[in-house]
Amino acid sequence: MIRSINIFLIVLSIVMLASVYALKFSIEGTAAERTALTARIADQEGQLSLLKADWAVLNQPGHIDPIVRRHEAELEIAQVKQEQFGSFAGLPMRPAKPDSAAMNALFEAIAQGIDPIDAILELEGIE
Amino acid sequence: MAALAEGHAPTIALDGARKQRGSLTQARIRWMILGVLIGFALVGGRLVQLGMVETDQTIEGQTRDAIQASRPPILDRNGLEMAVDIRVPSLYAEPRRIIDVEEAVQKLRTVLPDLSEEWLRNRLSGDRGFVWVQRELTPAIQDQVMRLGIPGIDFITESKRFYPAMNEAAHILGSTNVDNQGIAGIERHMDSESIALLQELGLARGNALTPVELSVDMRVQHVLHDQLMDAMTRYQAIAAAGVMMDIYTGEIIALASVPDFNPNEPATALVKDTFNRITSGIFEPGSIFKTITIAGALDSGAVRVTDQFDARYGVRFGRYTISDFHGKNRILSLPEVYKYSSNIGTIRIMQAMGKDNFRDFLSRLKFDERVAFELPEMRVPTVPKTLSEVGAATASFGHGLSVSPLHMVTAYAALVNGGNYIAPTLYKRDVAEAETLYERVLSPQTSDVMRYLMRLNALEGSGSQMNRAAQGYRAGGKTGTAEKVVDGRYSSSKVTNFFASAFPLDNPRYAIVVMVDEPKAENPQSGTTAGWNAGTLTGRLIQRVAPMLGVAPDFNEALDRQIVPPALR
Repeated sequence: MIRSINIFLIVLSIVMLASVYALKFSIEGTAAERTALTARIADQEGQLSLLKADWAVLNQPGHIDPIVRRHEAELEIAQVKQEQFGSFAGLPMRPAKPDSAAMNALFEAIAQGIDPIDAILELEGIE
Repeated sequence: MAALAEGHAPTIALDGARKQRGSLTQARIRWMILGVLIGFALVGGRLVQLGMVETDQTIEGQTRDAIQASRPPILDRNGLEMAVDIRVPSLYAEPRRIIDVEEAVQKLRTVLPDLSEEWLRNRLSGDRGFVWVQRELTPAIQDQVMRLGIPGIDFITESKRFYPAMNEAAHILGSTNVDNQGIAGIERHMDSESIALLQELGLARGNALTPVELSVDMRVQHVLHDQLMDAMTRYQAIAAAGVMMDIYTGEIIALASVPDFNPNEPATALVKDTFNRITSGIFEPGSIFKTITIAGALDSGAVRVTDQFDARYGVRFGRYTISDFHGKNRILSLPEVYKYSSNIGTIRIMQAMGKDNFRDFLSRLKFDERVAFELPEMRVPTVPKTLSEVGAATASFGHGLSVSPLHMVTAYAALVNGGNYIAPTLYKRDVAEAETLYERVLSPQTSDVMRYLMRLNALEGSGSQMNRAAQGYRAGGKTGTAEKVVDGRYSSSKVTNFFASAFPLDNPRYAIVVMVDEPKAENPQSGTTAGWNAGTLTGRLIQRVAPMLGVAPDFNEALDRQIVPPALR
């Protein structure tokens, strides 16, 4: 009886020993992975900071202005002048709609052979 | 029994088997306890030993955290980066681990030939744990050094400040030293506020810091800087500077002074004459001060805008007579005094107000103290505590006292914003917040008259050159040509020119002061007075920046008529 308990305990302790070591090694592996990831993040953050700085340089008005100046002639662009600004309030009102009824009447009259101009010309004594 | 009888022979006491086993067990237990105690003592002792060890976290007297500490990015008012942190490798050595110093020196010098051989040898020999070799290198150099494979040489990543705008906002930003601590400009101010503390605690690391937003608009800043650089060549000036302020919030929209420096190379800031002329330069303001005098007199009620002043003869003070530069030699109305920049008229206006009232008014506009501003580079203005008769007379047209251009722009802002003094700031501030800081220095009515006078000067007076460039933006201002003192005398050939202005004057939003130091005539047809250089510069500046700031041009003349005070209509 005692012997079988002993054997069981020995086997149990071996299993636990093995599992504890397995756990330890897996944790060490995870820790190494984490360290590698942290290093990679730090590295990429470093690269990102350089890219951001690059982007900031490229975005500066002081960087863009000379480029614009260089291509002014080719792109046919120039600095905006005061006269080129406008506003909706500055637009003239839309002209009144053409009197379509009167136009129709005129065209019908011409189609029937009555030309209102003739009357004016006769009145003026031309022809 | 015989044995017993034989009696008293020594008796052999035999312990029983149980007793024997019992004492043996006790001995074993003792040994075990001893063994366990020794074991625990060893473990405990080691723990104590480990606890006593102080791990060396410092690098040449600084904590590792401080070296890797980052600063928050600085953004302009539209979110464009003005200063960012970049991670750069720094080369260090552990001399106690270097095996062959001579070899290390030779190899390192193949990649970094700038290092002195002697210095490097001293640096690498010895028993120290950490020495810097060269800080803030490029990734390419890091690669080359790593390929050399020298033991005891390694890199650490440091934060380095980088200013993408280079020179453009140099005087606003200032610069940082190699340890990423602010040494000038807003960087220095930020350190005094809170960041130094964060860095010390090791909290300021990584990219987590909240960006700092400034009131500066980089587009306007660029145009201003561009125009100042242009003025340096166009007028052969020795220096030029300009500042632009939002009159209602006190926010500085742009501030530049040339010659300047590149904040990425802090050593360039040490070159002579690169100081910030806007905040730490004090100058005799000249005629731009007449605006202040007239505003004070109008506000005191001593003169009205319809009053006339006798400018036929110069004003005599003992042996001295003060006369006019463009003398009209007749009786001038108040707007004419301003328009023709009459010294005599201005003196009469000041005298009507009284010199003590005039001096009090200067104090009210804070001309005798430093402007409350973030930049650490400030100078105290020199304004006499009490003014003599002649001192008050010269002060009324801006001579005999020296103030910074920042004083002038703040005063002009107060003159046109309805009469409220608001201290300038480089941080974002909205109108509601600014209103709590307002100090009333003028009545709104006086402010209205000042708007009219400034616009009048642009339409008919010395600001017409400016107005020609800035057509449609309703800008107006006052020229000031201050003669420099050379060998104790005012020189007519060496002048400092100012143009103080505001726009759009029908509903003003921005005040500007531009300064050009010792300009020469651009061509034989032009002159050296302020209208020709500081004036036209301001005009070109307004013409370019007004659309950016949402000010649309308007050629409607009714706008100019509308600001004429009722008394003059």
